[in-house]
Amino acid sequence: MDCRVLSIQSHVVRGYVGNKSATFPLQVLGFEVDSINSVQFSNHTGYEHWKGQVLTADELHVLYEGIRLNKLNHYDYMLTGYTRDVSFLEMVVDIVEELKGTNPSLVYVCDPVMGDNGAMYVPEALLPVYKEKVVPVADIITPNQFEAELLTGRKISTEKDAVEAMDLLHEMGPDTVVITSSDLLSSLGDQYLVALGSQITVKADGTKEKQRIRMDIPRVDAVFVGTGDLFAAMLLAWTHHHPNNLKAACEKTVSVMQHVIKRTITYAKEVAGPDCRPSPAQLELRMVQSKGDIEDPAITVEAVLL
Amino acid sequence: VIKPGGSMECRVLSIQSHVVRGYVGNKSASFPLQVMGFEVDSINSVQFSNHTGYAHWKGQVLTADELHVLYEGIKLNNVNHYDYVLTGYTRDTSFLEMVVDIVQELKRANPNLVYVCDPVLGDHGSMYVPQNLYPVYKDKVVPVADIITPNQFEAELLTGKNISTEKDAVEVMDLLHNMGPDTVVITSSDLPPRLGDRFLVSLGSQRIVMPDGTSTTQRIRIEVPKVDAVFVGTGDLFAAMLLAWTHHYPTDLKTACEKTFSVMHHVIQRTISYAHEMAGPGRRPSPAQLELRMVQSKADIEDPAIVMEATVL
Repeated sequence: MDCRVLSIQSHVVRGYVGNKSATFPLQVLGFEVDSINSVQFSNHTGYEHWKGQVLTADELHVLYEGIRLNKLNHYDYMLTGYTRDVSFLEMVVDIVEELKGTNPSLVYVCDPVMGDNGAMYVPEALLPVYKEKVVPVADIITPNQFEAELLTGRKISTEKDAVEAMDLLHEMGPDTVVITSSDLLSSLGDQYLVALGSQITVKADGTKEKQRIRMDIPRVDAVFVGTGDLFAAMLLAWTHHHPNNLKAACEKTVSVMQHVIKRTITYAKEVAGPDCRPSPAQLELRMVQSKGDIEDPAITVEAVLL
Repeated sequence: VIKPGGSMECRVLSIQSHVVRGYVGNKSASFPLQVMGFEVDSINSVQFSNHTGYAHWKGQVLTADELHVLYEGIKLNNVNHYDYVLTGYTRDTSFLEMVVDIVQELKRANPNLVYVCDPVLGDHGSMYVPQNLYPVYKDKVVPVADIITPNQFEAELLTGKNISTEKDAVEVMDLLHNMGPDTVVITSSDLPPRLGDRFLVSLGSQRIVMPDGTSTTQRIRIEVPKVDAVFVGTGDLFAAMLLAWTHHYPTDLKTACEKTFSVMHHVIQRTISYAHEMAGPGRRPSPAQLELRMVQSKADIEDPAIVMEATVL
């Protein structure tokens, strides 16, 4: 396939978040993954303890310089997620801009991680950087409802609001927007959450059209970490295979998530034992065990065209 | 151990380099092991842009203290339980000594832990790591290792004995067993191949201790096609795949080696073909073009066709 991704995300020694969550699935699908580890921690921060080291913006620049000096700074995709540092994020933007200079067709997939359930869990200073510098150079973004509201300054109470928010996000830069989860009511009941997507595609005659979709996704009764990172990576992969068909790309992506999550819950409950809440260690995604589903996901959720 | 759902449930702690681009160290070991169903926890001893065979390389190294801090995080969460530890190229004695401390603690937590160690010291008659690593390997690392993958030079260094004949090699492997590891593979040697000069000779020896305390030793010889290129990361892939195939064939070194060397062959062949194609006729491929075609070799990694036979000595 010869498609090369530069992924700048966290590394954890144990478990599946950041680059650990994104790399194996993309490699299994045949992508070459170059990975810059923004941090190296023992495990994700949902465990009782965590220890490790962070990469500074300067150190990030130095690593990129090595790639550049060898004239290897040619990528088809760039992928980023959870970041806590303004200067680091700004260096990421510099890198994206330079890579788009060497390959104007580069697709930047950005998960604008800022918070959830009404609260920010990164420093507030990151919002203006995402709004003014990052999202404008992104091609695909995967905000949750809170992040979509933060970026657009608009509250989402109805599907119509969500569509307007996605249109605003398109105007800020990305041609593909997926609101990965929302509080919108699902027609299938409260055991489901609603995700939405919107994609601008250019037809053969040069005119633009928008495909908008909605997905009703079964809720899971557990807190997972790393699922957003897996989602962004798999959306990268499936939009690569279905570049003008967001419906198909999202059905594949969400279905992979479902298989991995289901396998993980089953395992976690089994090792935790009856009536015991699984621990963060037990809830780590069953990534290597899900290889078959990652390679060829059976479709378990259908997207509805709006 | 096969858990419910048929999964393998085998966890490896791999402490090796990370390169942003390319396949050496943890980049070379992780994907193949994961593809085979192993859980791989990885501590990156360095993060470099690429391996040091390129015209340029840049990055940062992990200190022994920082390694300790990472391990502490794992320990505090009570998840310091591993079935395997895997290590390779290291340049720093205090880092290597910290690795030994970690192995010893992990062996206390799991006495069945298998430590797979590539004792990277040098090749073709000269050391390419600092000389002061040599006593650390000899006195501290190899004694706690279970499987080691030295080349001929490293085997000679560790035992102080020269290898000129197959008999010498067998004696050296016995000396290495006495130092600690029950499984030794001399990954390459200058011994004359029977199949001709387009091949090189590798040897292996596995000491199996019976329930009654007696031991038997299976020794094998395998002749491997030489390749007309300098690869980086192949030793790291070899050690990772030997870990995997000795896991599946714990008392059959012949089969474990046939699978391991066969995987190497498939990956290297695919890489050479690609590199020559990219470089063009009559041109030497660059280090970038010679990066192992790892993701493209997934099927061969999962289920390698056996392309060479090991002889039991």
